[in-house]
Amino acid sequence: MTETHVPDFAIAADRVSKTYRLWGRRSQFATLKSALLKRDLKFSPEAMVDAVRDVSFHIDRGEAFGIIGRNGSGKSTLLKLISGILKPTSGNVQVNGRVAALIELGAGFHPEITGRENILINGIMLGLSKREIESRFDAIVDFSGIRPFIDQPVKTYSSGMYVRLGFAVAVHVDPEILLIDEVLAVGDEEFSQQCIAKIQEMKFRGVTLVFVTHQLDQVRKLCDRALWLDRGATTAIGDPTRVVDAYLQEVSGTVEASPAAETEAPAAKAAEEEERWGSGEVVLKRVILVDPKGHELVALGAGTGVTVEMDVEVRAPQEDFVFGVGIYHADGACVYGTNTEIEGFLPQRLDGPGRVRMVIPSLDLVAGTYRIDAAVHTRNGRAFDYRRGVLRFVVGSRVHDTGVYRPKHTWKFDGGIAFREVDNLQRNVPATVAEALKNKP
Amino acid sequence: MNELAILYRYRQLIAALTARDLKARYRGSILGFFWSLANPLLLLGVYSLVFAVFFPPQAVRPYPLFLFAGILPWTFFSSAVLESTTSIAGNAGLIKKVMFPAETLPLVVVLSHLVHFALALPILFAAMAIYAGFGMATIPLTAALVPFLMLLQTIFVAGVVMCVASASVLLRDLRDIIANLMQLAFFITPIIYLIDSIGSRPLRALLRLNPMTPFVVSYQDVLFFGHLPGLADALLMLFYAFVSMAAGITVFDRLRDTLAEAI
Repeated sequence: MTETHVPDFAIAADRVSKTYRLWGRRSQFATLKSALLKRDLKFSPEAMVDAVRDVSFHIDRGEAFGIIGRNGSGKSTLLKLISGILKPTSGNVQVNGRVAALIELGAGFHPEITGRENILINGIMLGLSKREIESRFDAIVDFSGIRPFIDQPVKTYSSGMYVRLGFAVAVHVDPEILLIDEVLAVGDEEFSQQCIAKIQEMKFRGVTLVFVTHQLDQVRKLCDRALWLDRGATTAIGDPTRVVDAYLQEVSGTVEASPAAETEAPAAKAAEEEERWGSGEVVLKRVILVDPKGHELVALGAGTGVTVEMDVEVRAPQEDFVFGVGIYHADGACVYGTNTEIEGFLPQRLDGPGRVRMVIPSLDLVAGTYRIDAAVHTRNGRAFDYRRGVLRFVVGSRVHDTGVYRPKHTWKFDGGIAFREVDNLQRNVPATVAEALKNKP
Repeated sequence: MNELAILYRYRQLIAALTARDLKARYRGSILGFFWSLANPLLLLGVYSLVFAVFFPPQAVRPYPLFLFAGILPWTFFSSAVLESTTSIAGNAGLIKKVMFPAETLPLVVVLSHLVHFALALPILFAAMAIYAGFGMATIPLTAALVPFLMLLQTIFVAGVVMCVASASVLLRDLRDIIANLMQLAFFITPIIYLIDSIGSRPLRALLRLNPMTPFVVSYQDVLFFGHLPGLADALLMLFYAFVSMAAGITVFDRLRDTLAEAI
C-alpha cells in the first residue's frame, strides 16, 4: 500500500531505525568514558540488535493506528521512539501535539503514598498543572471506581486497582496523541470494556491513537490502519482487516497468501472500493442482496425483508470454514456483523459449489448508504476469500430520523399530552406549510 | 543552558516529587517526620559524648557546637551524593515507561536532603541557646549568612549529583566507589578538627584542594566563630559551585539519551 503524504499529520516516521547495543561486562567502563568523550557511541559493542529497521509512515490527526507483530518484533520499541523515551539510531520521528504514552499503567506510582497523592504526581508527570489535576480529580476517581480506597497507600491496592487508577489518570490528561502499549489486556472484562469505550470516545473527539497489541480483534474494531512489523521491518501497512488477516495467515504457517484469483466478480464490479483478499481455496463467486421474491436489490425501504446471497465455489474441499456477513454504514461504523461460527453452526462439509443465504425478515435501518462485507474463512480467521465492501445499498425513508438502527416502535401519550397525527406524506414539510395545513377549516 | 530550561519547566514536578520523597520516607513510621529532627539530635549526642568524654580536651570549645556546624553541611553533601547513585536506576520504571524528564530525579534528591538539612538547623540553634544560657557560647549575628551558604552549597551539590546520578547508570561500580570515597573524604575535610591545627603546610594546602573544605570552613566561621567567611573561601565556593554545575549539566546532557537504554 502506498502512503500518501498528508501535511497535516500527527506523527511522521521517516526511515526510522533503532539499534540496541549489547555490552559485555568489561566494556561497561568504555561506555561511560566514550559516552563522555563523543556523543555518538561509535565503537564496538559485543552485539548489535536491530530492533526497528527503516520504518516509515504517516499517521493523520484523529487516526487510529494499530501496530501488530510477534513478540520481539520491535512494536514496543517503535512506540517508545514515537513517545520520545528512546531516540532513533537513524532517521527521525516527528510528532505534532501533546502525547500521553500508556506503556505501563501506573508506572510512576509510588507505593508508600496514597492514591490521591499519586494522582497529583502522575498527572504532573504527564504534563498537567496542579490546578488542572485538581479540577479533574473527581472525574479521575470516578472513572477508576476506587473512591473508597483513594486515601490509602497505593501499596495496599490490588493490581487491578493499580491499573484502573493508572488508566484513569492517563486518559484524563486530554492528550492529542495517545500511545497505548498492550495495556487493554489487563484488568477484568468490565474494566477492559470501560477502557475501550473511553478510547472510542477519544477517537470520536479526534484524538490520534496508536496501539500496540496482540488482541487482533481490537485492531480490527478500533483502528483505521494497521502496521505489521516483523523483525523490526514493515511487512504490511494499510487496512486493518487486511493486515491482520495477512498476519494471521503468516502466523498460522500458510505459505500461500496470494489473493483470490480474479476470475470473476460480476455483481460487484460497480463497487469500486471493494477490497478482496484470501487464499482462494474457497471463493465467494457472487454476492447479492435480494428481496423475498428473489429480485436483486440495490435500494430498499426501511424495514423491508432482504436476503444476502453468496454463490460459493470450492477449489479445495475444506473441513474448517465459516461464512460471515458484516453490514457497515457509509461512514465506516459497523452496524451488524455475524458469522456461522458465532451463531453455532459447526462446519461439516464444504466439497462442492453451493449457495449461502442469510435471511433478514426485516432490515430496520435508518435512511443512508450501507455496504456489505462477505467472507469465508477458517475459524481462526485465515481468509479463503474476504470481500470487503462487496456491495453497497441505499436505504430510503420519508422519516428523517437519525442513527443507523430503527427499532420497531410506536408512541403512546396520555394525561395532559396530546398530538395530532399527520399523514406520512405530510411529514417533514416546512413548518409554515404544516401550520397552514393545521389551520385549514 | 537547555538543561536549566528543562528544570524550570518541570519545577512543579520537582516540587511534587520532593514532597512525595519526604512523605514516603517517613510514611508508616511511628515518629514520622520527627526522625528528621531526631537523627541530627542523636548524632550531636554521640559526637559530643565521644569527643568530650573519650578524647578530651579539645582545642575549640564548646566542641559539640563546632562539630555540629561542620557536620550538618557535610551530611547534606554526602547523603545527597550517595543517594544520587541510585536515583535514576531506582526509578527505571519512570525512565523506561513514561516520557519523564530524567534531570528532575537528581534534583529531587538534592532538594529533599536540603530540607533535612534545613530541619536540622533549629536543633543547632537550640543547642547554641542552651550553651549560651550557661554562658559558654553566644549565637553569632553572622548566622544570618547561612542561607547564602546553603544556596551556594546547593548549587555545588546539585552539579556533583547530576554527574554522579547519570554516570552511575552506566557504571554501577560508582556506588561502591563513592561510598568508600565518602568515608575517606570525611576525614580530609576539616569537620572534626580545625584546619589551622594541622601543622604541616603541604598537608594544609592539600586539604584546601578538597572542594568541600571552603564550604565547611565557612559554615564554621558564621555559625561557630561568628566572623565572616574569608575572601579566599568565598571565591573558592563561587568557583566550585559554578564549575560543578557546568560539569553536571554537560555530563547529564551527554548521557541523557543513553539512559533509557542503559538502565
